[in-house]
Amino acid sequence: MRWSNFTYLVKKGVNSVWYNRMMSFASFCVLLVSLLMVGLAVLAAVNINVILSYVENQNEILVFAYGDLPDSDNNRITAELQGSRYVSPGGVVFKSKERAWEEYREQYPNAGSLYERMEHMDYNPMPNTFIVTINDLSGIKNAERTFREIDGVREVAAPHDFAEFLVKIRNTLTIIGGAVILALVIVCLVIIYNSSRASVFARRQEINIMKYVGATNAFVKFPFLIEGLFIGILAGVASWGLTTVAYNSIISMFGNDYMLWQVLGLGELIAFSDISWYVLAANCAAGSLLSATGTIMNMGKHLKV
Amino acid sequence: MVELKNVEVHYGETGIDALNDVNIRINDGEFVFIVGDSGAGKSTMLKLLTNELSPTKGRVFVNGYNLSKLKKSKLPKFRRSIGMVFQDFRLIPDMTVFENVAFVLRATDKSKKVIRQRVPYVLNLVKLADRAKSYPSQLSGGERQRVGIARAFATDPGLIIADEPTGNIDPRLSYEIVELLLDINKCGATVIMVTHEHDLVQYFGGRIINLKGGRVVFDDYIGGRGTGEEV
Repeated sequence: MRWSNFTYLVKKGVNSVWYNRMMSFASFCVLLVSLLMVGLAVLAAVNINVILSYVENQNEILVFAYGDLPDSDNNRITAELQGSRYVSPGGVVFKSKERAWEEYREQYPNAGSLYERMEHMDYNPMPNTFIVTINDLSGIKNAERTFREIDGVREVAAPHDFAEFLVKIRNTLTIIGGAVILALVIVCLVIIYNSSRASVFARRQEINIMKYVGATNAFVKFPFLIEGLFIGILAGVASWGLTTVAYNSIISMFGNDYMLWQVLGLGELIAFSDISWYVLAANCAAGSLLSATGTIMNMGKHLKV
Repeated sequence: MVELKNVEVHYGETGIDALNDVNIRINDGEFVFIVGDSGAGKSTMLKLLTNELSPTKGRVFVNGYNLSKLKKSKLPKFRRSIGMVFQDFRLIPDMTVFENVAFVLRATDKSKKVIRQRVPYVLNLVKLADRAKSYPSQLSGGERQRVGIARAFATDPGLIIADEPTGNIDPRLSYEIVELLLDINKCGATVIMVTHEHDLVQYFGGRIINLKGGRVVFDDYIGGRGTGEEV
């Protein structure tokens, strides 16, 4: 294709947006709403995931060793725990029984005389402790079983019930969130496909003429493709703007509720400024792809002339 | 050259025999009227000639292409060798007269230089040079059809197929349209004009192919009143 004809077709595609402005506007609105709905749903799902991860990371397994083990054994246990496939990288913190005893006394300072007598007897009831952060809460039972088998470990304390509760929440939210997003995507695809169909149908004669005069399918499709891309990018930018406003409003709304912030770990929510460009790129890419694909798919039967 | 050999077209779903044992040969440079009542098979014949339809039986040759064996990839090239004039004009509404004509040249990947030379030439031929910047909606029916003819002739095709080109315009202007097609024919293009206006045919005369019930019932030359000869 000659450069002059290429630029002509690009110009024609862009001009067609204005010439068919009613249909273009309808397609734009459908894309805008679709991208906004799916975008916000995805952002909500991502944030819920981040919050759950934050809450999960607060859960630790406490591994207690026998109190009279030498440092070499404590180091071995640390290494064995760290080498376990259930443990997050750097997820083992050793707390000596002396440190544990100090903390206990600071936490419960009212039994001063008792503590003095115990010190006099050179008795420390606290064990050496390994605070372990595991990488997957669903594997907490297996992790506990594995840790118990380590030589020198006396006891393992793991929050099974809370862990199971969190895993259930995560699984349920994953299924619900995935289903909602999938349903939204399907609904949006159907709406976009139908709006493209109406747009192409309104211009079937134009396509028909092009085919009769000997235009190749690519030549006929090209201006429609440009038009679809153009509308898609416009809708992508507009939905990005609306998403920014909506997201920041929701964040500031939660931000005012300090209790909720603390309980849910909302400090971990993703700041929109961190993902702004990704959202813009995703919106523009999805908008232009959906719009152009919908138009091209609908042109098929009109090209059979 | 256009040739239909033992062509039959049957529409399977309705059981209608649209064309039956049709044998026609139209040589290069001829001007032919195809006439017939509704349902005679005129539209089916045009669809065969533009390769919109394949025959159930027989072979169709147009401008050296064997349409029975034409690959899909060759269809655009074949279509560029013919010019179509439609009853309903089929101009692109958001393009000016100039753009409508230039469009077919762009579709055939002609250079800007060729477009700048050829479009004014054909618009001049159909006497619409002064309406180049007008849009179809600003033209009369006769003017629109002249744009349609200019567009059909823009690529200098060997064959022009006019499907009821006078069907949507003032009868008074019908003669002008046929005159225009005759002028183009004199430039060397073969012209096949489908019509059901017997007055026009009798006025201009020439080779007439009459279809009835899907069969050729008349294929001969007649004299025309307009040419001083009686039918």
